[in-house]
This record gives sequence, structure tokens and C-alpha cells, in this order.
Amino acid sequence: MEAAEQQTERGRWKAGVPYLVGALILIIPPLFLSSYGQGIMTRFLILALFAMSYNIVFGYAGLLSLGHAAFFGAGGYMVAILKLHYDVNLFWIAAPLGMLVATLTAALFGLVALRAVGIYFLLVTFALGQMMYALAWNVKWLSSAGMNGITGINLPDLAIPGFMLNTTSLYYMVFIFFAISFLLLYRLVYSPYGLAVQGIREDETRMQAVGYNTWLYKYITFVITGAFAGMAGVLFSYYNFFVSPKHLSVVTSFLPMVMCIMGGLGTFVGPIIGAAVFIFVEHFSSIYFPERWPLVLGGVFVLTIMFAREGIGVYLWRLWRKLNYQYGSVKG
Amino acid sequence: MEALKVEGLCKNFGGVSAVSNVSLSITVGERLAIIGPNGAGKTTLFNLVNGQLSATAGRIYFFEEDVTDLPTYRRAHLGQARAFQIISLLQRMTVLDNALVTLHGTRPSRFEMFRYVREFRNVFDLAAETLKALDLWERRDEPVEHLGYGEQRRLEIGLGLAMKPKLLLLDEPSAGLTKEESADIINIIKKLGQEITVLVVDHDMGMVFELAERIIVLHYGQIIADGTPEEIQADQRVREIYMGIEE
Amino acid sequence: MDWFVINMLNGISYGMVLFLIASGMSIILGAMGVANLAHGVIYMFGAYIGWTVAVKWNASFLLAFLAGGFSAGLVGLVIERGLLRHLYKQLNEQVLLTFGFVYIMGNLCLWIWGGLPKMPFTAKFMDGSFEIMGRVYPKARVSVILISLILAIVLWWLQDRTRMGAIVRAGMDDKETAMGLGINLQRAFAIIFFIGSFIAGAAGVIGAQLLGVHTELGFDVLLLALIVVIVGGVGSVQGALLGGVLIGVIDAFGRAVVPQLAMFTMYFTMIVVLIIRPQGLLGRKI
Repeated sequence: MEAAEQQTERGRWKAGVPYLVGALILIIPPLFLSSYGQGIMTRFLILALFAMSYNIVFGYAGLLSLGHAAFFGAGGYMVAILKLHYDVNLFWIAAPLGMLVATLTAALFGLVALRAVGIYFLLVTFALGQMMYALAWNVKWLSSAGMNGITGINLPDLAIPGFMLNTTSLYYMVFIFFAISFLLLYRLVYSPYGLAVQGIREDETRMQAVGYNTWLYKYITFVITGAFAGMAGVLFSYYNFFVSPKHLSVVTSFLPMVMCIMGGLGTFVGPIIGAAVFIFVEHFSSIYFPERWPLVLGGVFVLTIMFAREGIGVYLWRLWRKLNYQYGSVKG
Repeated sequence: MEALKVEGLCKNFGGVSAVSNVSLSITVGERLAIIGPNGAGKTTLFNLVNGQLSATAGRIYFFEEDVTDLPTYRRAHLGQARAFQIISLLQRMTVLDNALVTLHGTRPSRFEMFRYVREFRNVFDLAAETLKALDLWERRDEPVEHLGYGEQRRLEIGLGLAMKPKLLLLDEPSAGLTKEESADIINIIKKLGQEITVLVVDHDMGMVFELAERIIVLHYGQIIADGTPEEIQADQRVREIYMGIEE
Repeated sequence: MDWFVINMLNGISYGMVLFLIASGMSIILGAMGVANLAHGVIYMFGAYIGWTVAVKWNASFLLAFLAGGFSAGLVGLVIERGLLRHLYKQLNEQVLLTFGFVYIMGNLCLWIWGGLPKMPFTAKFMDGSFEIMGRVYPKARVSVILISLILAIVLWWLQDRTRMGAIVRAGMDDKETAMGLGINLQRAFAIIFFIGSFIAGAAGVIGAQLLGVHTELGFDVLLLALIVVIVGGVGSVQGALLGGVLIGVIDAFGRAVVPQLAMFTMYFTMIVVLIIRPQGLLGRKI
């Protein structure tokens, strides 16, 4: 658990350095990468955003949901449907609608899922996610002709005269949304609301006794994370040019969970680190043993849980704090 | 006005009657202790008053408002503060965060999603003041689980008081404490003003007789005696139940 | 009338398979609080082993049944003893760990048996069909009902009438006290996990007649098990039976009456139950 803010201005600046460095790493090197490399970076940021949203509901609120892809996929599908049936390519229409659909889905699912307590919550979110998968699989209107899923999504139109997106600028567009989401979620986590959510995870009975309507907090958190997952889904459909039912199912819900665990659950940057590790392993595996990718993923996941429960992210964080204590006080 | 009035309160678990037709009232500012053997229904009664359990029958009035069907968090807003039998602080979070989260609980700022929690100076200052009074300010960034049991109990009660409650519910505050720590708690409670009503459940008779103006004795979920400490000490039935009460 | 009976039989036979699938998971969940998400792949593994014994080696169905059950039970035992045991009392981590196995086992089965689905197989004596009310009806489905009923009775007997069953129920209610009474909870957990997985694997062999044997079974069966557990309630044989049969029958009539919505009847049922009675029809109030 992180002890939040430092009291002094200097302390605040010092704490901000790793974030600045991270931002620079994400801004400068991609300029020099090939299209392929930029594509991987884009995918990384989208998954990191997806994982960050999941980290809020799982790491901070303590709600183990296995249906998060329902919101991710809902966002992606909305964009795809608008293109397929209404030929809408304008980002400023498709993206907000995509997020809206994702948010509404989360609002509905939350009402049902939060009826379930404890381990039931997991089961219910799993089932609800699979229901979305079944919907996408069976309803013909939700697919391009003759297949499962929707193809033909293009890079979006940003309505900026004379400007067309390409692989490079798509990356930076995704980065901007990633950065905005990062800042918003950061504020959320360190706000009174965020602190309350963590308290509810730790001891719900106590939180009720001091005045918190815990159900409401869980519900709102569920919906907010659905919105951000939807944003990731929207961006994903523009990156992937294709959405399929599996983007709604548990195989996709599993991904942000793996990333959060590998990166360090309940830390803020954990999901980003986890996403980086994931992309790395996925890339490596796709070259040397593509058929065995699920086996590798499952194996890494099991090993992480058994031996590195706190995640790689936490080790790095601890290292940073240790350096700070040695070379200057973090707390004023 | 009565701070708390309970009428015909019953709580059944399956076939077992944990609380059976209990009626009592507490005046504002009163110090009331509830004692009784283990399993007499004391904690169940607390859970009913504070809302963790719902009554099978009967009604509960808090400052003349019917709270019987209100969820716990609403009762906190109406002015109840509770210390639990098993200390219920957020163990993995820091002392300061515990204080901040507790104090925000009854404030509208608890829904703030955008500003940093420490930007709320009024709450922060109140938390600092409380922690300093509890002698825990120095340890504000340590996780609560690093504190000793007595310190945690002190923190839990101190935070409950910082909520400026109308009714303080203390469930076995002396459990697990040394004599010094218990005396500490007794002092804190003795210093409280008349605007706070105190309801204590405990087994430590020393503490009970020092604090209580009035004692109620529960046995198998029913009230069998209600009076001043002297009356209770002299009561025959009570003596039968509690063989060897310390005085 | 015969339409009604046929669909009823369809529903009950499918429901019985659902019961078998769910009972293993329900037992483990109820006794240990662990949602064994690998339940589906364990079922699948049992089905594949059973296929190998019955079809590839052309041995008896009974042998296939036992082989499927035992190999599945072993897998479950390995998971519990080797890994879960070290995460004692960390329920979230345990659940996540079992989910990792979905990927591991799933890919292993794909690796060993390949991606082509295997044909449903059944015992020699169960092959063919006979007449019910003037309609032809496969023997396999009827035998599924009978075998499952026998298993249900055995499980119920284990649950209510044996010491092991009492231990399981005690463990469900109060672990500390159970341990304090000298009951070897560690060993009980291992046995429970073995039994639950055995049932899953055996169910895979029996259910192959209705669900086939293919690599998607891991997730499909897990989903079915979860829905049955949600609907019927956790921890009891009766709950799994009621949940399974209810969903099976609703599904069968759903397919017959509104085929377009056939897929979703079980979700509707689940949502309705969650709204009215969140702990499941026969579940204990939490």
C-alpha cells in the first residue's frame, strides 16, 4: 500500500520524476520505430489502459470481476457497428458513443453482479461476459456478412482539415488518451473517493459504520471502470480494424487481470508494467512457439501468483523508494 | 429526549432467540453499561442498534427517529459511532489514512473524485489534531497493523470520538488491554461531555463500575436487571449469575 | 403429448449432465470456498482420456469412465497439493491460480489430441435407440439419466450419511472449530478436491454423448457449471441437481419453442434467480 502525498513542493517534484521519465520513454522512441514497432507500442498502450481500468475495480476496490471485456468489447463493437451499418467514420461521434455503450453495459451489469456477494460476484461477472460473447456470436446484425465479428474498420476521421491519421499519428493519439486517462484515474485513486474505495476493500463493515454507502461506491467504481475499458475498446477497434466476439469473452477479460497481477496489484503503475511484460512475452512467444502461447501465458501467470505475488511493479517501486531515501528525503 | 429507545426488540437465528423482547431507553448524556455472561446477547444487541443485523421484531428509536430499517451507514450520519469487539481499523492502511477516511465518512466531500484527499484542509487538520491528542501523530505513516493492540484500541475509540457522535457504542473496549491501557480508555471516556451518550458492553467490572451511572444485565437475551451500580451489586439474581464478581 | 415427453427427456438428460458437471464444483466451492475455475478443463481432460480408452483403445465404457475419472482426479489433486495448499486462506489467489490452469490444461489437451473435435461416443449397450410414445429416442440419453441418478444418490449418501460428508459440512461452517476438533483439514481438502475432480472427469466421459469432445469444452463447461451453481446454490448435491435439471429443462423447451433465443434461456434464468434469491434456489443465506 502506498502512503500518498509528500508534504513539500520538492518532495512532490521528486516523486514525479519516474512518471516524467516514463512519459518521455513513451513519447520519444516511437518516433524512430518502424510501423510494426509503433503498432506494438499502440497495442501496449491500449492494453495498459484496459489494465489500468481493471486495476481500479480489482486492485483498489477488491472486486474480482471476470467479465471486464464485456465493456471493452462493447466500446469496440459500437465503433464497428457504426462503421458497418451506418458508415460512420467520424471519431468524435463513434468514440463517445462507444464509451457510452460501454458505460451503460457496466451500469446494467453492475446492478445484477453486485447482488452477488463474495465468490459469487466472480461467477456472475463471468457469466454476464459470456452472455455478451454469445450475443455477438449469434446475432447476425452484429457481424459482417459471412463471418463472426466485424471487419472493415478504418483509421478514424478526426475532422481536421488536411489531416489523415497514419500508424505513427494513431500511436500518439492513443498516447494522448492514455495520458489523460492516467491523470484522471490517478486523481480518482488519491481523492477521498479513492481512499474510501480502498477502505471498503479492506473492511466493508467498518466503512459502513463510519458512514459510507458501500454498495454505491462499489457500483460507481464498477461503472467508471467500465467507461475506461470502453475507451480502450474504442481505440482497439481503430488499431485492430477488426472486432470479434472473443473480444467480449473471458479470454479477453483474463488479460487485464494477468497484467495487473504481473505488474503488482493495487499499485498505480502496476498494470502498465504488467502490460509491458505481457506484450514482451506475447511477442517472444509468437516468434518461437506460437502454438503454445496459452500454455506460456498460463504458466507465467501461475508462477507469478506462486512466487511473485506482489508483482514486478512493486519490486521496481520499492527500488525507487530505496534510492530516494538514500539520496534525498522523500518526505519533507 | 431519549438518545436511544428500544421497544420489544427480538432477534432470532433459526430456532435460537438471541435477543428476546428487550425494551430499554437511554437519556441524553447517560453512561449506560450492559453486562451479562457470554452469549447473553450483548453484541447482538449492539449489532441491532448499529444496523449490522436486522431485527426480527421490535423497533429502535434514535433521538426519536425510527431507525429500525435504516442501513448502518445512515445511522452513522445520524450520530452513531461504534468501536467493535474485534478492532476494526483498516490494518494495511496507514494511521493517517485511517483517520482521514473515518473523518470523511460523514462529510459530503467523501464523494470527491478529483482533488487530492489532503487538499481538504479542514479534515486533514482535524485528523492531525486527533492523532496528536492520541499521541499517534509521530506514527501517522505506519500501517495500523504495526501498532500495539492498546494503541489500536485507543485509535479506534479516538477516531470514533472525532466523528462527534451523539451516541458512542463501545463493544468490550477493555478486551485485550493491560491495566494501564484500560485506565487510559476510562480516562478518555470520563472526560467526555454531556452531549455524548455512552453505551458500553464489557466484562471488566472495574471499568463498568467506574464509568456507568446505570447498568443493565442481560441473560439469554433478556433483561433481568436494570439499575444503578449499587442496586445491581445487591441484586440477588445477578449475584447468582455472576459468581465471584470483583468489586 | 409426445412432444412434451420428448422435450422433457431431452431437458432432463441434458440437465443431468449439467448436474454432474456442477456437483464437483459445488462441493469444492462449498467445502473450501474455492471456485475451481479449472473445473471445465478437468472435465475436458477426463473426456479426452475416456475417448482414448473407449474409442482409440476400444476398451469397455466402464473402463473409460473410471480412467477419465481417475486421471481427472489426479490432476485436481496435483493442483491442490502442489499449488493451492501453499495459498491457504488466500481465496482470490487460489481462484486466479485455477484460472491459470484453464490455459495450461487447455493448451496441453490441444497439443496432445489435436484441434479436431472427436465424435461423441458411448457404451455398446447404450448404442442405438428405442421407441417412446411412437417416437424414436436414443438410448444414450436415457442411460445418461439413469447413470446420473445413481451417481446423485451416491453423492447424496456421501454428503449426508458418511463421516467424510459431515466433515465437509463442518468445514463449510467453521474451519477453525473443525480443525480444533482434530480433524485433519489438509487431508480432507485433498480428498475433496480429488473427489470433485473425479466427478468432473467422469462427467466428461458420460457427457461426451451429449456435449462431444473438443478443445472449447474448457470454457463452455465452466460456464455451464457456474450458471448451475448460481441458480441451484452452493454446497449441496440437491442444489446442483435442482439447478442442473431446471436449466436443462428450460433450455430444451426454449429450443423447441423459441429457437432463436435458445442460447440465452440459461442466462435469463440466472439473472432472474440473482434478482429474486441471490444465494441460489437451495443455497444457504450468506
